[in-house]
Amino acid sequence: MTGYRPSYPRVFLTFARNSLVRDMSFRTNFILQCISTISWTVMNIGFYLIIFQYTDSIGKGTGWGRDEFFVFLATTWIINSLVQTFFMPNAQQFSELIRSGNLDFALLKPIDTQFVISFPRVDWAALSNLVMGLVLLGYSLYQLTTRETNPLIIDWRALLMYPFYIVCGTIIMYSVMITLASTSVWLGRNQTLYNFWFYITNFSRYPMEIYKFGWGMALYVLFTLVIPVLLVVNIPARIMAKPLDTMQAEYWRLAGFSILATLCCLTLSRKIFVRALKSYRSASS
Amino acid sequence: MPMALIELNNLKKTYRVYQKKEGLRASIKGLFKRTYKEVQAVRGIDLSVEQGEFVAFLGPNGAGKTTTLKLLSGVIHPTSGTASVMGHIPWQRENDYRRRFALVMGQKNQLWWDLPAQESFRLHQQIYGIEPNAFQQTLDELTDLLGLRELLSQPVRELSLGERMKMELTAALLHSPEVLFLDEPTIGLDVVAQHNIQQFLKYYQEKRKITILLTSHYMKDVAALCKRVVIIANGQIQYDGSLSGIIDETTNRKLVTLQFADPIDDALLASLKRFGDIVQHEEPRVKLGVTRDDVPAMLTAILDSYDIDDLIVEEPPLEEVIADVFVRVTESSDEQSPETEPQ
Repeated sequence: MTGYRPSYPRVFLTFARNSLVRDMSFRTNFILQCISTISWTVMNIGFYLIIFQYTDSIGKGTGWGRDEFFVFLATTWIINSLVQTFFMPNAQQFSELIRSGNLDFALLKPIDTQFVISFPRVDWAALSNLVMGLVLLGYSLYQLTTRETNPLIIDWRALLMYPFYIVCGTIIMYSVMITLASTSVWLGRNQTLYNFWFYITNFSRYPMEIYKFGWGMALYVLFTLVIPVLLVVNIPARIMAKPLDTMQAEYWRLAGFSILATLCCLTLSRKIFVRALKSYRSASS
Repeated sequence: MPMALIELNNLKKTYRVYQKKEGLRASIKGLFKRTYKEVQAVRGIDLSVEQGEFVAFLGPNGAGKTTTLKLLSGVIHPTSGTASVMGHIPWQRENDYRRRFALVMGQKNQLWWDLPAQESFRLHQQIYGIEPNAFQQTLDELTDLLGLRELLSQPVRELSLGERMKMELTAALLHSPEVLFLDEPTIGLDVVAQHNIQQFLKYYQEKRKITILLTSHYMKDVAALCKRVVIIANGQIQYDGSLSGIIDETTNRKLVTLQFADPIDDALLASLKRFGDIVQHEEPRVKLGVTRDDVPAMLTAILDSYDIDDLIVEEPPLEEVIADVFVRVTESSDEQSPETEPQ
């Protein structure tokens, strides 16, 4: 038995399967969740359609016209849905496990504790957002490539880089979340997770160009270099929505930095997680 | 010198807790200036347990029993001291160690609440890497012994407390641990369920020769299962030995019950008081607590002067003796060292 390593993919599949069985046993809840998610996306589109009644693009000369911006929006939904499906319920659960002392069982398992904390729950209903995101992405790309003036030609490099940067963005979001949840060990309780998610996504869901003026620069620097959430959606969306040849040097640098930021976030969050486990006190008996 | 299977040396665990004062005003003050106190949950425990032993930890609430088990299972880190279980340092949380033991807590559950226990078991199979055949065999054996077969496909939330506890035990034993830590596994269970679990543990331990540390407040659990008892109070070991030894070592009282042929009057009661204290008076019987060495002389004197129909000399009940120990230990430690020192 010694030296045996559990198969992480198989354990993950079992987690996903168990979550699905669980979600299915509360069928109505599941359906309601899907409906509410989809209605939210529909309202979101409606809202931006209204905005585009008043303007042709988000920011002057930024190139974020209606269809380009809908690629951006689709990217936001895709990343959000990935985070909400795989990580949100777990980060929240983690915080609760710390408070209630039920983290004990995770610590007993002969498997990486961060893995067993990060993946046990999959919120399948949140995937409906992913579907909506893909539909919107397909539709706006179709619009962009078939328009009469200056149609977009999709570069094969963009097709490879887009999913790659989606994954990077998801990892950054995950790292921020697991770090926040870990602080529950020291704070006893940390219910800022949802609030924080709301604040952060509020900033990250617009093209970064809009922050590049006067005092907006402060936000731009903070959310690009310190907590790099602006990169999360902006990099993949920029790569997909506009021709790669026209991408400015600054964007290429940011894309490179994005990879570095992903690695740093992941490493740092892992360090904080491990530190947190050391200080875990296991509440009650 | 060969090491015992489980070795603890001067193990200590101190918690720093925020001292919350009563009332809103104090709570607001607490936002700015916090006072902490140190709680010494475990204050230097030395213990060694050999392979195949079934040891009970007894002690009042907050004595440090659960903390000790948590230290041994690596859930928390000690403040100082050393421990080794099967050659591993528990709080290093090595996978090789974690595959070889299990912890069951009566107050916490690890099974997925909304799913049948079967699904959680399958997850365990994968996490512990149990071979499918071995897994099925162990599962069959455990479910038969505990009578769980029909309940496997029922969501855990629909099980009774007793059934759930049995499922928790099953989950913990699927990977055939060599060492088992049980923290109040029978808490809140009815007499039948308690008995079932006792029987199961006894059978399983004898068959598999595994090492078990158990904490419980039910003396019946302890009497049925453990040859060795460790009394922990105030974070220290107060007694370590056999169950019957507790009585020999900690009390020199015997209970003498006398059944009189004639009605018992006040004068008789008063004269009995010189032999010991009257524990119970219920016509036609009187129960006296008497110092062990005085018993023969007392019996001679009483048989000479009264008409006695029947008499019983017995040890005081275990619960009482242990409760006395708890009270004594708590009182003496209150005098010696205050439990908390402000920081």
